[in-house]
Amino acid sequence: MSDDRRAAVVGAVVACLVVTTAAFVPPLVSARPANQIPVESVRTGENPADPTGEAWDAVPPVEVPMASAPSGLPNASDTSVSALRVQAARTDARIYLRLSWGDGTADRNASDPRRFVDAAAVQVPVNTTERPPISMGSTRNRVNVWYWGADDTTEELLAGGPGTTTEFDRAAVNASPRYDDGRWTVVLSRPVASDATNRTTLAVDHDVDVAFAVWNGSNMERAGRKSVSEWYHFALGPGPQGPPYESILWVVAGFAVVGTALVTIQGVRGNRGETR
Amino acid sequence: MSADDTPTGTATGTADGDEGVDLADGVDHQVAMVMDLNKCIGCQTCTVACKSLWTEGGGRDYMYWNNVETKPGAGYPRDWEESGGGWQSSDHSERRPGEIPDKEEYGEAWEFNHEEVMYEGSDQPLRPESDPEWGPNWDEDQGAGEHPNSYYFYLPRICNHCTHPSCVEACPRKAIYKREEDGIVLIDQERCRGYRYCVEGCPYKKVYYNAAQKTSEKCIFCYPRIEGEGPDGETFAPACAEDCPPQLRLVGFLDDEAGPVHKLVEEYEVALPLHPEYRTQPNVYYIPPFAPPQHSDDGESIDVERIPRPYLEELFGERVHDALDRIARERDEVDRGGESELLDLLTDTNPARKYRLGVFDDE
Repeated sequence: MSDDRRAAVVGAVVACLVVTTAAFVPPLVSARPANQIPVESVRTGENPADPTGEAWDAVPPVEVPMASAPSGLPNASDTSVSALRVQAARTDARIYLRLSWGDGTADRNASDPRRFVDAAAVQVPVNTTERPPISMGSTRNRVNVWYWGADDTTEELLAGGPGTTTEFDRAAVNASPRYDDGRWTVVLSRPVASDATNRTTLAVDHDVDVAFAVWNGSNMERAGRKSVSEWYHFALGPGPQGPPYESILWVVAGFAVVGTALVTIQGVRGNRGETR
Repeated sequence: MSADDTPTGTATGTADGDEGVDLADGVDHQVAMVMDLNKCIGCQTCTVACKSLWTEGGGRDYMYWNNVETKPGAGYPRDWEESGGGWQSSDHSERRPGEIPDKEEYGEAWEFNHEEVMYEGSDQPLRPESDPEWGPNWDEDQGAGEHPNSYYFYLPRICNHCTHPSCVEACPRKAIYKREEDGIVLIDQERCRGYRYCVEGCPYKKVYYNAAQKTSEKCIFCYPRIEGEGPDGETFAPACAEDCPPQLRLVGFLDDEAGPVHKLVEEYEVALPLHPEYRTQPNVYYIPPFAPPQHSDDGESIDVERIPRPYLEELFGERVHDALDRIARERDEVDRGGESELLDLLTDTNPARKYRLGVFDDE
C-alpha cells in the first residue's frame, strides 16, 4: 500500500469517526439537564389525548416534586400532593401534557359549600424568552394557565400576578381526565402554535419555562392554597430533540478539531526537522 | 379633638361636622339601616320579599340574604356566631380564622308534597318529602328561660355592609369590594371564582356559595332599587324594609346628619351594631329589645328584666346598657307628658322620613 493510499484511508477513517461521534455521542453523554421536561414526538393515531393512549408508553416521565405555594391565605401550608409525574409529547399540530398524581378521593363536585374539586394547572410564560415570577407572573411578564377542574372544567387563563387570572374568551385547551386506583391522570393539550394576543406560542426553537400546580379538593385546597412545582422547562430548543443543523455543526466542529490537530502535528514534525 | 382621636364607632353627640362618622377609606357615603327589634313580629315577610326578588332558584334555594331568627337560638346558619371570621383587633391588621358552614347547618331547601295534597287528593299532611333534621327557624320561638319567665325575640339579619369588611379583605382576587359611592359591599360575579374565603371571612355568615354558578353571592342592599332602576324610575328602599308590615326598618346614610339613622346611631347612640367584638363595624344597627318584666310564681310582675342584660350585652356589646337606659328615660319623659325627639324618631310612620336615599343625589 502506497503512502498516499494509506494517508487517504486514514483520512477517511478519521472523517467517519468524526461524523459518527458528532451524530451519536452528544445525545449519549448529555444527561437530561435539571428540571427538563423532554417533549417526545408522537403520532395522532397513538391517541396522545387519551390518558391511557399508547403514545404515552414511549414518553419518559419526569417526577416533579411539589410543595405548598407561598401564600397569605389561611392554612396555605396545609397541602397534600407532594409529587407529580409529568410527560410531554407533541404531534406536528398539538402539544400534549400528561399529568399524574396520587389522591385518595376523586372530588368531582362542589355541591356543598364546604366541598372543593380536585384540580391541576400548567403555567407557561406568554413571552417564552423571559422567565416571569413563578406566582402567576407579573403585570409586565404575563403567564398562560391551562386549568383543569374535576367538575369537568377546562379553562385557559391569562394572569399578570397573583389574583389576576382571567379566562380567555375561547379556550384552546382540551383536557381528558381519568381517575383510577387512587390516582388522577389528566391529559391537557393545546395547539403548538398560536398567533393570538397573550396566548403563548410553543412553535419555538428554544426551551420554554413551565410550572405545575395541583389542588386536593377534599383538603379544601383552592386558589393559592395549592401544591406547586418550581420552574421546569419544555425541551424545545437545541438538544436531543434539536434541529438537524445541530449535527452538521458538530461535524464541522469535529473536522476543525482534527484538522487543527493534524496541522499542529505537521508543524511540530517540521520544526524537529524530521524527514521521511 | 381631631377626627383621628375619635374612638371608632362612637358619636360626638352633636352634629358638628364629619368628625363623628367613621366612613371606610375611599367611600363617599355609607348606606345604613336601623332595625327596631321591638317591632319585629317574626312574620318573615322581609325574608320572602328578598327571596322572591333575588334568591329564587339557580343554586340559591338554600340562601336567605335576609333571614329572621329567634334569639336566643342557633340562628341561620346554625351556630353562625361560633363560626369565626372578623378581625383579631381593632387595628384591622389581622383577621380571625373562620369556617365555612356545611349544607346541613344552612338547612336544605325542602321539597314538599304539594302535588299529592293539592291536586291528587292525598289525605297526607303537607310536609317535606325529605326527612330534615335542621333548617332555618328550626328553633323558632323556642328562646330561653323557664315558665313563666321564658323569653325570646326576633332578629332580622342582612349583610351589614361593614365599614371594615373582613370578607373583602379575605378575597385573594379582590372580587368582593365596597363600592365607592355608598359603601355597599358587592361581589363582582365576573371576578369571583368561588374560592369562598369571603364566606369563611364574614363573621355574620352573610355570604353564600352558589354551587350552580360556582360563585359566591350576597345581599346587594337592593342597589337597583335605591338607584331608581325600577320600571318607573322611582327610588325605593331595599325590599326587606319597604315590605315590612310593622315597618321596623329605617334606611338612609350614616353620614346624612339630618336623617334618623344618623341621629339614632351617632347622636342618641341607641341603635347598636350586632356583635361589635367582631370589629367589622357593621352598618346595620339595632334598637335593642324590651320585654315585659318577669312574673313571680303567683303571676305578679316583679322588678326584674325578662331578657337578661348579660345576654343582650353578648349580642350588642356593653353599650346596650346605656341604649336601653336612655330609651327607658325618654319613655318615662313622654309618659309624664314631655316630648322626646328620640321616641318621635322611633315611632315615625312617614316613609319619606324613614327612607332617606336621595339626599346625596346631586353630588
